Amino acid sequence: MSAPLYPSGTVRALLATDLVTDATRAALQARLDAPVHEPVFFEPHTYALFQTVAARLIPQPDRAEPIDVVGGVDKRLAEGKADGWRYDAMPPDREAYRLGLGGINQAAEALFQHPFVALSESQQDAVLEAVAAGTAPGENWQQLPVGRFFEEMLAELTENYYAHPLAQEEIGYVGMADVPGWTHIQPNSLEPREPEEVK
Amino acid sequence: MPDEEVLEEGVLNPIKTEIQDPLLQAILEENGTSLTAPTELEQPAPVPNPTEEVDCVVIGTGAGGAPLLARLAMAGLKVVALEAGPRRNPITDYATDEKAQSFLFWNDERLSAGKNPVAFGNNNSGTGVGGSTLHYTAYTPRAQDDDLHLHRDFGVGVDWPFGIDELEPYYTELEQFLGISGPTPYPWSGPRSKGYPLAPLPLNGAALLMQQACAQLGIQTSPAANAALSARYYQAGIGWREACTNRGFCQAGCNVGAKASMDVTFLPLAEAHGAEIRADAFVTEIERDEKGRITAVVYEQHGQTVRQRCRHLFLCAGAVETPRLLLLNELALTSGQVGKHFMAHPGMQVWGTFSEDMRPYKGIPGGLISEDTHRPKDADFVGGYLLQSIGVMPVTFASQMARGRKLWGQQLRDYMRNYNHVSGINILGDCLPHESNFLELADEKDARGLPKPRLHFTAQENEQRMNAHSEKLMRDIWTAAGATDLWSFERYAHVIGTARMGLSGDDAVVNPDGRAFDVPNLYICDNSVFPSALSVNPALTIMALSLRTADKFLAAQARLDGNN
Ligand SMILES: Cc1cc2nc3c(=O)[nH]c(=O)nc-3n(C[C@H](O)[C@H](O)[C@H](O)COP(=O)(O)OP(=O)(O)OC[C@H]3O[C@@H](n4cnc5c(N)ncnc54)[C@H](O)[C@@H]3O)c2cc1C
Ligand code: SF4
Repeated sequence: MSAPLYPSGTVRALLATDLVTDATRAALQARLDAPVHEPVFFEPHTYALFQTVAARLIPQPDRAEPIDVVGGVDKRLAEGKADGWRYDAMPPDREAYRLGLGGINQAAEALFQHPFVALSESQQDAVLEAVAAGTAPGENWQQLPVGRFFEEMLAELTENYYAHPLAQEEIGYVGMADVPGWTHIQPNSLEPREPEEVK
Repeated sequence: MPDEEVLEEGVLNPIKTEIQDPLLQAILEENGTSLTAPTELEQPAPVPNPTEEVDCVVIGTGAGGAPLLARLAMAGLKVVALEAGPRRNPITDYATDEKAQSFLFWNDERLSAGKNPVAFGNNNSGTGVGGSTLHYTAYTPRAQDDDLHLHRDFGVGVDWPFGIDELEPYYTELEQFLGISGPTPYPWSGPRSKGYPLAPLPLNGAALLMQQACAQLGIQTSPAANAALSARYYQAGIGWREACTNRGFCQAGCNVGAKASMDVTFLPLAEAHGAEIRADAFVTEIERDEKGRITAVVYEQHGQTVRQRCRHLFLCAGAVETPRLLLLNELALTSGQVGKHFMAHPGMQVWGTFSEDMRPYKGIPGGLISEDTHRPKDADFVGGYLLQSIGVMPVTFASQMARGRKLWGQQLRDYMRNYNHVSGINILGDCLPHESNFLELADEKDARGLPKPRLHFTAQENEQRMNAHSEKLMRDIWTAAGATDLWSFERYAHVIGTARMGLSGDDAVVNPDGRAFDVPNLYICDNSVFPSALSVNPALTIMALSLRTADKFLAAQARLDGNN
């Protein structure tokens, strides 16, 4: 079965209707209208490196304006917020991101003799594969468990991506239309407000 | 600041004798009966010392704290609940959006150690007026009698100090009061005095496919008991609550009021009977007199430090914050059991992709159950587990998939485009206490300057065997249902143990009534007092214990009054 595609424009259209509660609309509209994030925690070089890494982890070649997945991390770290837990083997989040992104650059230098941002996409992917597999070279990994760092970073970027209304539209999610409630909950049974797959 | 070390230590342990710091001595004196008021200089930030003393302070308003708060208030006692989290209005403040709802979770950082570090935050623990019930899936199966007797039946773990007959009346009372939807008769758990007050909720896609596949494999299933209303329900002392609209968002908070979270059930009942609930009130200290009786608690609220005096304390802060407060305050430690025997339910999940359009956001996530695996005949492990169909919200699913399946790049986006075609089953199974699984205070401090809790968890052989058994079974079920691209996710959910109940203060923190063995006016009631993990979801049993603890306390008070 090939993965389904859904029509675009449906979530914006939904948000304009009274099928969505005010609280839900406010949350989603704020994300749709968010201005470009200026880094607060990361310095510009590291931020650019992070964006390049994120573009390989969550590639968006189909979007003229990619959904920003790193801005939220920068904001969270600047505010010192946590999500309730951390692997004991990991240093605090700020430290982990600094060491981890630095480690990715060290691996890029060791494997391809250039910083990560200067590599081709396939070289970048090779570096990230080594990080994911826990085999990446680089002295920072002496201080940071490489596999755990990759998992944490990937999970956070993935959450930021799929929290965006347009990414939710991409996967055909319309749970945000929460006013009327749902009656067609059996398989293959849709309500009028649920977009059908494009064949 | 040279005094910082002493200050921190002193604030955490206000009754330690070796405190030399004059500032702290002043605070300590104020706690006692000293009549000499400290001068401005000695005490730059005095903790206001209200003369008012209440009968009971309850710390935490979740499944453990809320029912007893109502019970105590209804008995005419003056009670105050202190809740670290905020009070919100579900109807206006709850977005149907996972990120916007992250305020429902206990987001202060916990350190997860061991070979199977447990995820906290949205995997585990909530905050706010209503505690973790604000975001629970509301599966409410009863424990069975043999769940309380693992040691009797298998020679491992420990037994509960009483049998199911002690809990049955409370289960019944709760099911009727909360308006639990479920099938009557329910196929598994033992004798019950009453059926469920409401019919089961409708089954969604995942539940229906699991039901069909289990039927093919000879596994009995049933619509689950769920604390969401399948019809409008009148609740004594509260009024009408609206029926569930199948919006599938229970884990990020119900904006309909259909789900029996504490904020729409026991807490308004408690307030109607005079209980006071103070939100955003984070308790840091528990004060005692020289005889060891608790005299007051100190909490922080909106940047102020406040002291509340009390005759009795009910500690219901959950299985992490309860032992943390006990350790921070060096309270109830004589048994040496505080923080020990931390357990977490094996919560193995198996996901598959279906050709059917499933839309996993619709319908209550807690739909179908099977307890046929309660004591499997071919088990190579102790205890058992139950099977449940699961619904899933997109961000939670994506995040878990990234961690568990480790897809990234184009593969990740391609897989996620199947979101509307995925369905999952999970188990919750018993977990044996083990000495290597425990909670301790770390050196690292949180924003308040208090040590962070560190929790060690390693799945032992029993948990590993149970995982293997259940994974195979769930894969068989989804294969029979026609799923492709199966993957499993090993996880551990629910924090259990750490201040256990037992017959003797040598190996337990609280007695069978929930009272601390070594502090006469301290009761503990939440997930932490469970002597064993049970093979069912915990919330209904926590609430049953809560009502029972309140009744035992009230009976003890009545006896004391009679002696006067
Ligand atoms: C996603 C999810 C789904 C779940 N689904 C189910 C389910 O379907 N069925 C089921 O039975 N269980 C379920 N659970 C588990 C269930 O919610 C918990 O087991 C239960 O609510 C725990 O009750 P408790 O009283 O021990 O703690 P809590 O309900 O967590 O209450 C503790 C309260 O104490 C407060 N507190 C802590 N420290 C302090 C302090 N220092 N000062 C003041 N207040 C403090 C906290 O803010 C919190 O409100 C689920 C949990 C999660 C995370
Ligand atoms: S599915 Fe029902 S109980 Fe759950 S959040 Fe929606 S309305 Fe509330």
